[in-house]
Amino acid sequence: MTLEILKSGPQTTIQAAPRVGQRHLGVPYSGPADPLSMALANRLVGNESYAPALEATLGGLSLRFGSPAFFAITGATAHARLADRPLQHHRTIQADAGEELHVGPATLGARVYLAFAGGLQAETILGSSSTYLPAKLGGHEGRSLVIGDRLSVNHHDWSADNHETPREFQPPLSTSWAIRACDAAETGLLRDRRQLFDRNFRVASRCDRMGIMLEGPGIDVNSDGGLASAPVFPGTVQCPDDGRPFLLSVDAQTTGGYARVAQVARADRHLLGQIRPGDHVRLLWRDPQSAIKDLRSKLDYWCAWLDDIELVI
Amino acid sequence: MSLANKIQSCGDDLLSVAVPGPAESQQLAARLRATGEWLEVVGGIDTVALRFDAANIDADAAQRTAHESIGAGIPVVQSSPVVVEIPVCYGGEYGPDFDAVCSMLDLSAEELVALHTEREYTVDMLGFTPGFAYIGGLDKRLNVARLREPRVQVAAGSVGIAAGRTGLYALPGPGGWVLIGRTSHPLFDATADEPFALSPGTRVRFVAVSAL
Repeated sequence: MTLEILKSGPQTTIQAAPRVGQRHLGVPYSGPADPLSMALANRLVGNESYAPALEATLGGLSLRFGSPAFFAITGATAHARLADRPLQHHRTIQADAGEELHVGPATLGARVYLAFAGGLQAETILGSSSTYLPAKLGGHEGRSLVIGDRLSVNHHDWSADNHETPREFQPPLSTSWAIRACDAAETGLLRDRRQLFDRNFRVASRCDRMGIMLEGPGIDVNSDGGLASAPVFPGTVQCPDDGRPFLLSVDAQTTGGYARVAQVARADRHLLGQIRPGDHVRLLWRDPQSAIKDLRSKLDYWCAWLDDIELVI
Repeated sequence: MSLANKIQSCGDDLLSVAVPGPAESQQLAARLRATGEWLEVVGGIDTVALRFDAANIDADAAQRTAHESIGAGIPVVQSSPVVVEIPVCYGGEYGPDFDAVCSMLDLSAEELVALHTEREYTVDMLGFTPGFAYIGGLDKRLNVARLREPRVQVAAGSVGIAAGRTGLYALPGPGGWVLIGRTSHPLFDATADEPFALSPGTRVRFVAVSAL
């Protein structure tokens, strides 16, 4: 089965499992910026959580189905229609050959996910088929999709009607995010930790899969720009000397030399993928033990719908 | 030496082990990676980060495991016998910060190039993005800080300095190092049998060229 891209939106890529275990070589994770939403889409069409699917940043995607297909749409709120029928998120949808799917601009949240029964075919490189744009790795020719691209969907024998994510497992979206975070290695370099934690920041236009820049009253950090480069991860909050911190996301570089002033708790890292410019962010301080408790409660809750949730969150 | 008191929590699923320097970092990281007990082991210049599965392992248990596995101390990495020559075109459009560095450090252009090319260096580690090499041993007179705000876009092949090291950007992307030149030396090819041109311990020398 093939899909033809009619409109590619600001940035649509194929994402799959993260590229783990190679950070010591400078190879970032990549993978879906919001892995929970992508797993939910895959769940609705009988795929594994990390089956290759589309991540459409800020929506704006159109495609045509070459043959009948089951698909599902999750993630950021965006008006979607198949031929002339309006579509609901979080449902299994059947498309007929030749039908066109149109996804409008995202109105709440940043990334729309589209999963197709069988999963997309994608290039596997360095252990994953996730697209990593800076090095042109994986996905579809290592790049974001353009009009005219043809994608292939793997054969499958799955079928189900009226599949729907239960309401309590449809993640809420917001323009204002409370993100739990712990101290990191250089939190001690903050002149006043209250400048970072429990305070509102506005998301700058510098916001992508690598990092999310936060603007606010400014943070005083005593690093003098001369720290020894050290490992960073998705969720690391780095603060350059200009006082505007970055929340590193799934394409986070593997090492860096700006002060690591906080680390987003594992339980909340998936939220970073839905933060968009203009949103507001507040970091809620947690000690590591409480953050781990939060994580386990969240996993306990989600395992009722996603049995491999430990690999997703 | 004992590292038992040098483990620090770095988040709810991350620990950081302080080490004396990059050679020890790479050696300890390789050994800890081989134990298979960690989701991720990444060496920095003077720290090693350990990521554990917080869904199943408690923070204090992870700390105990780390203490036990670093107890044996750290052997030191051997540098390679081969010296890789890296051609660098200094200044101009390729080194947008070159002139500012000269005036800040009170050096002429010739002096800056001479200080950067006259000695042999060793690759401390790979990191940042695929193919980026951290190269230690910079002359102390070339010590500059990172940019206060990282650039949105740094060209592939850019040669930067910061915090006592030279950094080679294999890929285009954002970056906060002070850019003094650019190289055409290939640094990363994902399709090659050996994707990374340099590795920790590789000896390098920079050679000034007038064009790329």
